[in-house]
Amino acid sequence: MYQYDAIDKDFLADRSAEFRGQVARRLAGELSEDQFKPLRLMNGLYLQLHAYMLRIAIPYGSLNPTQMRKLAEISRTYDKGYGHFTTRTNLQFHWIKLKDAPDILDALASVDMHAIQTSGNCIRNVTADPYAGATAEELDDPRVWAEAIRQWSTVHPEFSWLPRKFKIAVTASVKDRTAARVHDIGLAIRRGRDGALGFEVMVGGGLGRTPYVGSTIREFLPAKRLVSYLEAILRVYNRLGRRDNSNKARIKILVATLGAEEFARQVEAEWEKAGDASDLPDTELARIRAAFAPTRFETLTARSEAFEAAKATSPALARFARNNLKPHKQPGYGIVEVSLKAIGATPGDANAEQMEVVADLAERYGQGDIRVTHEQNLVLPHVKLDDVAAVHAALAAAELATPNMGLVSDIIACPGLDYCALANARAIPIAQHIAERFADPDRAEAVGELKIKISGCINACGHHHIGHIGILGVDKKGEEFYQLTLGGSGAEDAAVGQMLGPALPANRVAEAVDQLVEVYLRERQGEERFLDTFRRTGVSPFKEAVYADAH
Amino acid sequence: MRALTANRLIDGEVVFWTDGRWVERFAEAQLFADDEAGEAAEAHAKTEVTTVVEPYLIDLIDAEGIWAPLSYRERIRALGPPNHHDHGKQAEGGAVVEALLNAHGAARSTGRVNLIKRK
Amino acid sequence: MPTRIRLQDGGFSLVEDPFTAVADDLQVPPGDVIISLTRFQAEGERLLSEGRAVGVRLESDEGAEALAYDLPRIAVVALAFPKYRDGRAYTSARLLRERYGFKGEVRAVGDVLREQAGFMLRCGFDAFEPADGSSPEDWERATQRFRHVYQRGTDARAPAFEERGQ
Ligand code: SF4
Repeated sequence: MYQYDAIDKDFLADRSAEFRGQVARRLAGELSEDQFKPLRLMNGLYLQLHAYMLRIAIPYGSLNPTQMRKLAEISRTYDKGYGHFTTRTNLQFHWIKLKDAPDILDALASVDMHAIQTSGNCIRNVTADPYAGATAEELDDPRVWAEAIRQWSTVHPEFSWLPRKFKIAVTASVKDRTAARVHDIGLAIRRGRDGALGFEVMVGGGLGRTPYVGSTIREFLPAKRLVSYLEAILRVYNRLGRRDNSNKARIKILVATLGAEEFARQVEAEWEKAGDASDLPDTELARIRAAFAPTRFETLTARSEAFEAAKATSPALARFARNNLKPHKQPGYGIVEVSLKAIGATPGDANAEQMEVVADLAERYGQGDIRVTHEQNLVLPHVKLDDVAAVHAALAAAELATPNMGLVSDIIACPGLDYCALANARAIPIAQHIAERFADPDRAEAVGELKIKISGCINACGHHHIGHIGILGVDKKGEEFYQLTLGGSGAEDAAVGQMLGPALPANRVAEAVDQLVEVYLRERQGEERFLDTFRRTGVSPFKEAVYADAH
Repeated sequence: MRALTANRLIDGEVVFWTDGRWVERFAEAQLFADDEAGEAAEAHAKTEVTTVVEPYLIDLIDAEGIWAPLSYRERIRALGPPNHHDHGKQAEGGAVVEALLNAHGAARSTGRVNLIKRK
Repeated sequence: MPTRIRLQDGGFSLVEDPFTAVADDLQVPPGDVIISLTRFQAEGERLLSEGRAVGVRLESDEGAEALAYDLPRIAVVALAFPKYRDGRAYTSARLLRERYGFKGEVRAVGDVLREQAGFMLRCGFDAFEPADGSSPEDWERATQRFRHVYQRGTDARAPAFEERGQ
């Protein structure tokens, strides 16, 4: 993993000191709320319904055990003993006091963490594949590039006051676990004909009020030209992105208005003029790459007899292995998914004890490596198959072993009206109801992959547009209602979901999901996933089932 | 009926206006039957820029005997998050908290007076 | 005479401003002036021929390239911040310095707060009309807050990747 050096550490200390000064000026009345708000937002501090919320960056979703323990400690000292992992692979604390925020930033800095640029109209935390360094599928380690982007984007002199927020994802596998196509910029690592590394550059994806799947503006960008190309994109956007209407200020609107071809032409022209002055020197890239040098693995056989024997006697372990254990590039190892989706729990929430359990397991069995996924779960990327039974037992004792990855109860939900000042409706109880309805793990497995994503408002933090079933909370004549969409995907087959029909009241949602699932089970052919069946049949049979009574 | 609410600057706590001071319990909030009195209090509150952030008036309705915020949003602010009944103001319990938790009726999702079309 | 904060030889100081900013609907007074791009395009030639120094104010939606050929004759480019969150002028300043080699004064006008000081300095601004009453000392402090930077800017600071190489 990347280790912060003296420069990175000084930087965090300076930033923390700067914010301490700004908070003091605000409390003393020297800064008005209007002046202070953008400053606190750039340090991840929002004012929500019940208190301030602090959004802590987890750069490219990567944590070490010391950091995880510090998060647990902060949650106990300054919050109510829990935190919420988000679809941006960040962590949010909901009960923060403004006066404590500078101390919290210091505590974070002590473990090389921060809240820099987790909000505001700037370049946000970069998303990378949570299986980086562990999956055999990848062409290169995306964290190398994500770290390069982290540094380049941190307090960027030119691009810290953009028309709107800006999100970048890096993936290096065929299977996209980053939702790259719905980011402002999605970077997919490719190999050129001569074997050289490069990126496919996708621009203008995004969710929110007007969802778009991004367009490829360059099939192959030589990897070492990454930073200058990003600068060219950002420069065109900074100049031409709309500033008169925040609903139309994201780059996706600019790309859609100009057309992807014209946008690409302007980027290329700017890139050519700017030259390579901003590109990172090879030495720096090599330095970053060395930090992500392949973990030292033991030479093991692909099959673990101990693990096979344990599975044979424990159906629970066997089920966990089927759903939460993914193939590792190294024989004898596996990638373990830690579920933050216990049936009836708040999706993405972890309490301090759970954070510590994960930290301990990572240290003891997982090479000190923890990842956060955009689907609001955690990952132990390097676990020996010999150890999976022990890891499973410890996770199960902490209610972290729900065997539901990618299944119907692995639901994404934003905080919604339980916490969020912008919400129209609650998201958490809807997720809880659906999960409870599919609590039977046999049934959930029989249904197979089904991604349900819930947002409490059109801002789409719960990624509802790209749910196989998407659920959006709306305000209908003053009551909480829910708009369902079908057929979205955030993976390599990215698509925006299609509206099912009129919004449903809260007490109808879980039942409607059940009806949708029944239609799928009836209609499915062969190995089809819910998404495949929907794509084949279209919306009609689903619509009929849910709105049958309305006729 | 209306009440005046805000978040306290220093810690973000939800507070309510009562005769020139801010209190944490909705049960102690001053009720304004008179629009003008409420707006005068709001105007004053807006000058307290180092005490509270964004004060605003909320509409209340008669919900089986108590005056409850009209909106879910404001009920949730007055109580705490529905997913953790032991967090926030609701943890303290009491008659008004119980009544709010059980209040039904024409709740609206947005409670800010100026965002609701008033008939 | 009005003043502005100037960055000179690495230090900030309050210096007199010989320029008069002239709105489009007002008569151009004698002496050094800063005028809009529109006015410059119409009257610039004549004003320059009168032997005075002329500056041009670019609104945030006016690109620096509009001045590309005139820059050698212009003393000041004033870049407007209609709101401090409007970051277009940072790009304009960088282009003026890096692409067009402008050596004159690049001045920040409008909603200019000390919080932006570090960004402005790194994009090539060297004169500031703060709207928050901040002093040269405030600006000095604000720009010294970070001991390191991660990117190359128009200033001479070595980015982290260079510092590390040393
Ligand atoms: S989607 Fe809306 S309700 Fe949910 S967290 Fe985002 S802003 Fe809040």
